[in-house]
Amino acid sequence: MTNGKKNGKVTSPWFAIRKDLDARQRLTLSCLSFILPLVAWAFVSYSPFIWHPDVKLHISADRSDVTTVYTAGDHLSKTYFPEFVAAIRSDNLEILASRESGDAESRGSSVRRANLKIMRHISDAAIANDWLTRVEAKEDDLLYGVWRDVAEGKLSGKKVKFSEENLAIINRNWELMSASSPTFSSRDLPEIPLEKLVPQGVSANPVYLPAPHEVVIKGLQDFTFESESDKPSMFDRYKHSLKIVFLGFLLAAVVGVPLGVLCGTFDFFSKLFEPFVDFFRYMPAPAFSTLLVAVFLAHDAPKIALVFVGTFFQLVLVVANTTRQLDRSLLEAAQTLGAKNITLIRRVILPGITPNLYNDMRILLGWAWTWLVIAELIGVKSGLTEFLETQGRWRNFDSVFPIIILIGMSGFVTDQFLSSLRKYLFPWTPDAAEKKHGFIGRFFLWLVDPKAYSTPLNGKAK
Amino acid sequence: MSSSIELPSYKEQSEDVRTRFAELYQRPIKLEVEGLSKSFTTAKGSVEVLSPISFNVHRREFVSVIGPSGCGKSTLIRMLAGLETLSSGTFLLDGQEPSGPGADRGMVFQGYTLFPWLSVKKNVMFGLEVNGKSGAAVEQEAMQWIELVGLTHAADKYPRELSGGMKQRVAIARSLANQPQILFMDEPFGALDPHTRCQMQAHLLQIWRNVDVTIMFVTHDLDEAIYLSDRILVLKANPGEILEYVEVPVPRPRTPEQLLSPEFLAIKQRLEELIHPKEPERDDEPLPNIRMTGIGDEVE
Repeated sequence: MTNGKKNGKVTSPWFAIRKDLDARQRLTLSCLSFILPLVAWAFVSYSPFIWHPDVKLHISADRSDVTTVYTAGDHLSKTYFPEFVAAIRSDNLEILASRESGDAESRGSSVRRANLKIMRHISDAAIANDWLTRVEAKEDDLLYGVWRDVAEGKLSGKKVKFSEENLAIINRNWELMSASSPTFSSRDLPEIPLEKLVPQGVSANPVYLPAPHEVVIKGLQDFTFESESDKPSMFDRYKHSLKIVFLGFLLAAVVGVPLGVLCGTFDFFSKLFEPFVDFFRYMPAPAFSTLLVAVFLAHDAPKIALVFVGTFFQLVLVVANTTRQLDRSLLEAAQTLGAKNITLIRRVILPGITPNLYNDMRILLGWAWTWLVIAELIGVKSGLTEFLETQGRWRNFDSVFPIIILIGMSGFVTDQFLSSLRKYLFPWTPDAAEKKHGFIGRFFLWLVDPKAYSTPLNGKAK
Repeated sequence: MSSSIELPSYKEQSEDVRTRFAELYQRPIKLEVEGLSKSFTTAKGSVEVLSPISFNVHRREFVSVIGPSGCGKSTLIRMLAGLETLSSGTFLLDGQEPSGPGADRGMVFQGYTLFPWLSVKKNVMFGLEVNGKSGAAVEQEAMQWIELVGLTHAADKYPRELSGGMKQRVAIARSLANQPQILFMDEPFGALDPHTRCQMQAHLLQIWRNVDVTIMFVTHDLDEAIYLSDRILVLKANPGEILEYVEVPVPRPRTPEQLLSPEFLAIKQRLEELIHPKEPERDDEPLPNIRMTGIGDEVE
């Protein structure tokens, strides 16, 4: 081994074939495994030169000949955006040309309606620059004020800066507007057609890849949003989803563990049940969704049943296998000590497999999580998935990501938590830390075998 | 074995050894094996592991079973312990024919087989509890057996915290706690280092002296067999059958110094002859003398 020496301390090399790293190195790498993807995400999101195939609109406009309406926040591809801008410019040229020819003045009310629309287009920039709130931005007289302040130079955009071209347009438009009326009045809008604001935007990634800060902000908004009383809040949805996963899993465990232990203990049950279970697990649980809805009707029952179907069959096989892996010589030893039948199961098999069984349950709980989204889609959509679905359809992917991450985190954190409990639960296993006589562990086994655990050791081994 | 030293015959016994054996045969027969055999059915037909064999073991006798690997010595005691079915024959324990495994026949395995989830004390209490005893008396009784094997200080430890030798002492205490008629030991010290092994042999002799128990001990270590046993059952392989049921002429009490005594060497030579007969085998052929070094013979 080529151990590096630093300040007199021996450090193990980072790359050594089939050698464990030391604790600090492992921690560093474990942290990096999370930080690296985050850095990659941030890098792609915040460096405009990397990918950014789209333009995110800050200021939009209506094309005269096209019905498709883009609003601020929409993503346009970089190839289409110049075409869009060019179209608006040619619209403006036409407007200027029609002013010259003077034929617009004859249709005053329709010109005023068009001008009102153009005037309102400044609202997106006003909101983005925090000049107006979303509610205020619906009031025409405030928007009118924005035109005035921008034209007079009292307001200048920080987050959304008007281009020189747009500032010129604003100034020219305001001249016409202020000439008609200093304050807003729908009757006093100029009867000369105003020029449209030319679309402005920043380069952006596709809508399905929101930047980290957008996801965080949107997630916080979604979770703190006060919902109307008849609609579930995000926490209600989360609780509902948890309920589906855990109930489905618990049911599968309550039925599956005894069955699996029986199969692993008696060849009779193994040959009677396992072939069918083995066959059934290849049938995808979602294939049963309509059937489950027909049997269990609406609400939560079919969803829980789907998680059950998706977990149960795997669970039986895994538990049976774990049971079979118990060291046979332990059973033989117990037999030569006089243990028979039920006593063997209760006092040797069950306590013997419990640590591995616990691990299996952890892994299968992970399985149960994977069925959550499909389960919540069947029948009446519910829980986090309903939200996920709706937001996904509206292409609000900044709302979708927090939910996906939340589901992932829930599974991961539960698993890590249960994993860390292991050494307290099963102090006799080799991986348990030295000298840790778990209280919960003794209680847990007391449930299985009260006799053997009636006098706790209290950790005074020496 | 070097034959340059003149050894007495292994059948030559000193006066007190002869009286000892005479007294031993007066004791009641504890285990009577009659025509016991074992064969397995494989795809190629039936394979006989153990030909019908018959022998007796007297009360409080220490019998070792030795033989080359594959001679069925483990199969033999596993059948007697009830862990394997008999292909033919019978055996009587105290005149009764037992069925299946039971607390009357203890077994100590090479792999310790302690219950890892139970402390030393609970391991020893296991047998007592499954046989219907309960209450504070069980704990007290268990502690006595733990004291017998000298592990009182470790009574509350988990097996994983013990060394191999300590684990095997717990396993012995656990088996003895049931006060079995006979204790089978299947290469119990095979996994221990030589030093621990010697200690364990001495411990076992002491325990055997202090407890009313008959022991059948499977091993492939000749010294171990001689050091511990009254008689040695020598088996041969393919199929397993009894070559000889040898009386060990080494007087008791045994001490490690006896390993070099004439009686010890004599019986050891006899066992060597039985187990490794002087037949030409491939392994015995002399190596061709090929030199791979240019340096002189300084190694000698």
